[in-house]
Amino acid sequence: MIQPRPSRTKQARCLVLYGALSVSAVVCTTIAHANARFAQKSSAENLDGKPLDPFVISVDRVVVLVFVRTDCPISNRYAPLLQKLSEKYRGAAEFWLVYPDRAETASEIKAHLQDYHFSIVALRDTDHALVRRAHATITPEAAVFDSSGRLLYHGRIDNAYEDFGRSRPTATKHELEDAIRSAVAGKLIDPDHASAVGCYISDLK
Amino acid sequence: MKRFAAAHALSATSVFSLLIVTAVFAAARSPQTAQAPAQAGAPVSFTRDIAPIVFRSCAPCHHSGEAGPFPLLTYGDVKSHARQIADVTRKRLMPPWLPSTDGLPFQEDAHLSEHAIALFQKWLDDGLAEGNSSDLPPVPKFSSGWQLGQPDLVLHAASPFTIPASGSDVYWNFVFRPALKSERFIKAIEIHPGDKRLVHHANLLVDRTQSARRQEKSPGSGFAGMELQIESESFDPDGHFLFWKPGSSPIVEPPGFALRLDPENDLVLNTHLQPSGKPEAVQPTIGIYFTDEPATRFPVLLQIENDRALDIPAGDGNFTVSDEFTLPESVQLLALYPHAHYLCRDMLAVARLPGGSEKTLIHIPRWDLNWQAVFRLAQPEPLPRGTTLVMRYRYDNSSGNIANPNNPPQRVTAGNRAVDEMAHLWLQVLPETQPGRQRDPRMVLQEALARHHIENNPADFEAHYNLAAMLLARGAGDVAVLHYQSALDLRPGDATVENALGAALLSSGKLPDAIKHLDAATTARPEYFDARYNLGIALASAGDFARAAEEFAAAAKLKPEDSGAEANLGAALAELGQKDQAIAHFQRALQLDPKNPLARENLDILQKAP
Repeated sequence: MIQPRPSRTKQARCLVLYGALSVSAVVCTTIAHANARFAQKSSAENLDGKPLDPFVISVDRVVVLVFVRTDCPISNRYAPLLQKLSEKYRGAAEFWLVYPDRAETASEIKAHLQDYHFSIVALRDTDHALVRRAHATITPEAAVFDSSGRLLYHGRIDNAYEDFGRSRPTATKHELEDAIRSAVAGKLIDPDHASAVGCYISDLK
Repeated sequence: MKRFAAAHALSATSVFSLLIVTAVFAAARSPQTAQAPAQAGAPVSFTRDIAPIVFRSCAPCHHSGEAGPFPLLTYGDVKSHARQIADVTRKRLMPPWLPSTDGLPFQEDAHLSEHAIALFQKWLDDGLAEGNSSDLPPVPKFSSGWQLGQPDLVLHAASPFTIPASGSDVYWNFVFRPALKSERFIKAIEIHPGDKRLVHHANLLVDRTQSARRQEKSPGSGFAGMELQIESESFDPDGHFLFWKPGSSPIVEPPGFALRLDPENDLVLNTHLQPSGKPEAVQPTIGIYFTDEPATRFPVLLQIENDRALDIPAGDGNFTVSDEFTLPESVQLLALYPHAHYLCRDMLAVARLPGGSEKTLIHIPRWDLNWQAVFRLAQPEPLPRGTTLVMRYRYDNSSGNIANPNNPPQRVTAGNRAVDEMAHLWLQVLPETQPGRQRDPRMVLQEALARHHIENNPADFEAHYNLAAMLLARGAGDVAVLHYQSALDLRPGDATVENALGAALLSSGKLPDAIKHLDAATTARPEYFDARYNLGIALASAGDFARAAEEFAAAAKLKPEDSGAEANLGAALAELGQKDQAIAHFQRALQLDPKNPLARENLDILQKAP
């Protein structure tokens, strides 16, 4: 399914980001940099060890990357919601689970998918190419790209967790789903980049 | 023929809400500072500086099979969470420990020193060096089995409970049926709640009247509920906390502090469970360690509370509830268990001593239900008679409190559900014993407390009930009847109260009223053994032997091993002239209990009769 593509100029895109982010200039250049880098080399691989570029597979679709870790309890508690969202937006937004921890083997990840009833395709991002492209710093963190591969949102899934051990009984803000909905509708979004809570990707060397 | 001797009416049971039960850490871990502080300027290393802190303060929960979600035992483990560790220790979210240092010192104090916290940050800043392997302290060894050795009795929950994959926290109660052959004393209970990543905490309660079973849909199925109410015998309140939380060591009771368990007693495990992202089955196991040494020291649990004052307007971010209770006896304070739900922010308990000076017992500046615990004092704290215990809790019912279960905030009052609130402070105290005292100091304490609760809240059901039971026990039957009546007015038709009131009226000879209330008890709960038995006694006392025989027969059917019911049934049948049947029941009673005096005496009379 081809998604409506917002007809905007490259300049306009940057302006959108200017409006949304205080560090907009940096973001613009970083995205350009990340895109360029990604175009050169994608080191993400599937669980059979084959290189796989989600932006090639999901071309012309909204791409949702969710960074997770098998041993991150907050990641795990989001499993049912992530699975549900991936089903709800099937065909319109393509979900990928990205495991950035080199130490997690393909077979551990397969067991994890089975344990938590994921049917979302998993990728190992051992060189952190997708981490950089999504500006991800935490597991669990989600990144939403529009159908042209432009980063629209990255941050928490919702506001259920305010900090480690400080959580709401139910989330009252749903940033990831809001971002997906906007991206699918081809709308400009004001990504309220709320920081995710969970395990730091930078702790993984 | 000798008129049958009416056996004593079964004592009324008393309702102590949430008597949470047990006892004292084998080895207290003292608060610590890092052993070998890094030399000024020298880079912090894992083996020399970080490992000693991690092994002592993190690893007990962060190892395989324990509650911590990932292990923290090796350099690699710790390095892969280094920034997170620096973050959560700086915010004092880990290790979880609620009391501030301005209260009494507690066992298992998990506070990290400022120095230890600074070391984690400096290690991160210095580049996470591993250091020399010769500096590494011994890696702690944890055994996954019974910490106290093989228990004398192992009980498994009859059926597992499956936690849904997602949603809010779940509270589930498992009923264990030890079915002992005779009275035993317990020195320790080790609780294995199941997968420890899923269980936030668990409380074990002794159910002396099998009252929790009635809440199960089918035997062994367990039942939902955040707060438990257990009926217990009136003058044997279990003065023990039996509490499990992640990382806590099982407690062996000091000599004399054993907990009694009778053949009919159940154990109820109240668990707080957290969804993990996938459906998970939890099936707890408990291990019981007996002792031949009977209990000689009897701690008591006092509950200071002011639930009635809990009426928190929606949006109110600073609502305070307080309570004060003056001790009528000198006691040693052993442990504290503060309890509230999700709106509570700050908890303070102070002792105002007779001289006027104040001592902070415990202060929890950032209450978090998820890390609630029983806090056992490092040393017993003497609280002389006349000491006023002051409890002051502050609540935040604004939307700024992220734990607020209501969105938008709603008016909140006291109750048992997670969306309700509580303002409770439990104290485990050991009353001072004085030789020659007539009244048990535990009863003096509980009676004063019940009166205090009624002052706070004239509609306090448990307080009226408990006060009545204590008054009855010290011979003030007429006043007891009034308080039972008050309890009944608060819960019309409650089988337990109808039975207790009936028993009280029976003991003061008011037979028609006694029969009326005991009838109501058996109607409300047809399988209520005590009520059937007491009704049988009341009817027989009123000369209605035919109906008495029916009630004793029903009681004997409910509890076929009860010699008293059989003996009384025999006596009623004897009165009705049914000699052969009467003899059969007396013989059955003697089979069950060869010493049963009622059966023996009546059997002698019948067999001698022509």
